[in-house]
Amino acid sequence: MEETTSFNLPKQTHDIFAVMARGAFISSNGSRDGMNRLYDVINNPENFDRLQAYFNVIRYNIERGNNFFYFAKLSEPNSELEKKLERFERYIDIIDLFASMDNKIGIGSRFRPSEIAEECNANVRLKQKLQKIPLYRSETLHNKVREICDLMSRDSFLELEDEKSESYKVLDSYNYLLDVINSVAIYEESGSSDDTQGIIYN
Amino acid sequence: MSLQVNVKDLLSNLYHNRGVVELLFGQRDHITVNELLGRDDITEEQYRKLVSLDILYEYENVVSLNDAVVAMFEDFMEIGEVTPGFINDYINELKRHIKFYQEAREMRFLRSIKKYLKRIDNTLTREIIKLQKNVDDTYKNESNYRIKLQKLEDYREKRDTIIDFIRQTTTIVDETRSLFNITNDTELFGIVSSLKTGLIENLDFLIEIQTDITDFINKIQYQLDVYKKAQRLKEVKDHGTLHFKTNFREVVSNINTLKHNGHKTPKTKIPIDFLYSDDGHVLCKRIAEKYKITRLMVRGLADKMAGDFKDKGLEQQIKLDTEKLVERFLAQTKLNLFEYLIDYKFPKAIGNVGFEERLSLFVEIAMEYQNNLDFKYRLQYHDYIENKTEIKKRLGYTLILPLKEKPKKEKATK
Repeated sequence: MEETTSFNLPKQTHDIFAVMARGAFISSNGSRDGMNRLYDVINNPENFDRLQAYFNVIRYNIERGNNFFYFAKLSEPNSELEKKLERFERYIDIIDLFASMDNKIGIGSRFRPSEIAEECNANVRLKQKLQKIPLYRSETLHNKVREICDLMSRDSFLELEDEKSESYKVLDSYNYLLDVINSVAIYEESGSSDDTQGIIYN
Repeated sequence: MSLQVNVKDLLSNLYHNRGVVELLFGQRDHITVNELLGRDDITEEQYRKLVSLDILYEYENVVSLNDAVVAMFEDFMEIGEVTPGFINDYINELKRHIKFYQEAREMRFLRSIKKYLKRIDNTLTREIIKLQKNVDDTYKNESNYRIKLQKLEDYREKRDTIIDFIRQTTTIVDETRSLFNITNDTELFGIVSSLKTGLIENLDFLIEIQTDITDFINKIQYQLDVYKKAQRLKEVKDHGTLHFKTNFREVVSNINTLKHNGHKTPKTKIPIDFLYSDDGHVLCKRIAEKYKITRLMVRGLADKMAGDFKDKGLEQQIKLDTEKLVERFLAQTKLNLFEYLIDYKFPKAIGNVGFEERLSLFVEIAMEYQNNLDFKYRLQYHDYIENKTEIKKRLGYTLILPLKEKPKKEKATK
């Protein structure tokens, strides 16, 4: 801890780095491994400035979102565009599925894969959506939903809150995906047709 | 109520069936008649009695508590639905009694005025606390979006109603200030001044709640909007025009998260020195097992040190003391080295020195101190019974004597 005290850094600095350098998000409503505590540590303005300065030296930049933090690499060319596109196309599929559920899954929602699977089973349109999400090889709908949840938790957008009951929670980092989607402009429409009182067409 | 009840009866009935009342309050609208009668603490007869007293209702086989009872509990616990309507009633009553008092300056009207002023103060605070709790609860726990939004909007309305009541109360208090001054009643002054501070505090609190509600609604609205957008994007994507009709490509290429740019977790090499440590060995072993490298698996950990390793340490001291032992041996003439060692009385601290150990000591001395010893090149025999097998054995050994004018020595043979 000598080096952290000499820079006057919080003692969780290593944990923060370990999580974020893995490419994961730190969300304010995450509870695993003291995630919310780490969030509070970074969110403290004094700590934030010190951590930012410290990580900038090794060319990491802490980016702040709505109730979450993540790392970006400073001055490094973004790579692997094709892979990225593929990934975000998949996110669109998943978010579209979440958005089309009767019980829309949003930030802070808790759900079990079996619930989604059941709803998809009962609704042909949802079933099609789920089946068309590429990459997964699972046979049953339930397993497919499970794989999606697993993937989303690995990307730290979801958190497996209770392993026994297989209950997931949507973390604040999910905002990141929403922000990305929100920033995509669709050309042919004027963009002002957005205000239909928030009723989603299912 | 169908039967006349007084407070005492009501209380004793509730008390007698407190288990049932608690259950029904805790799980409103979930308990069926059969479930309830299945419990040990109520009989069919008791149940009928409670129903006839209107304490319990039965509707479509579901049992529920009388709303008045539920409301009483909720009021005390400051939970339940926000019901600002009460405040309205109190304000009306207050107005009525003020009018009466203006007509006739009678104490009974003044007492009612005080009562209602106090009630308004308490109820406002309680309703606002409930409002706060409910708003928070709705945002966090209501799973259906449309209902969540609707509920929050309802709370916003209720908040406006409460603010309206606060305004009304303030007006009444201001208008009747001169009237109150005439009464010269210190208790009334106390109540009014506490009500006034309460009103201001509550107004602040409501403004905060308003911010919360707006914030929550905005967040939900944003999510809904984005979800709508996501569904549109999905449509565009299904038409295969995602890359052409949107700036998806551009947006994604600007994404700067580590994860999506293929940055791997930074890897550091393990220091060589670490690999020589025990922890390092465990690591090596795991890697060896994973990749089936037998070479790495050879070097094992040292076994756990025996609990009596300190005693063993004492034994080593024997060796350290060998020199003294040899000196003593050289000082005497009666015995040869073998006999001397076999019979030597080691200090107690060393403990029991076994035959084998004495034998190895013999060999050690014979080799180390050969220049001081007289090797006789003659065998002598030592008879003994082996401890474990109890077989008689005979050991031949070389006669070794202290080196004097005529030295002697021997070598051990088995």
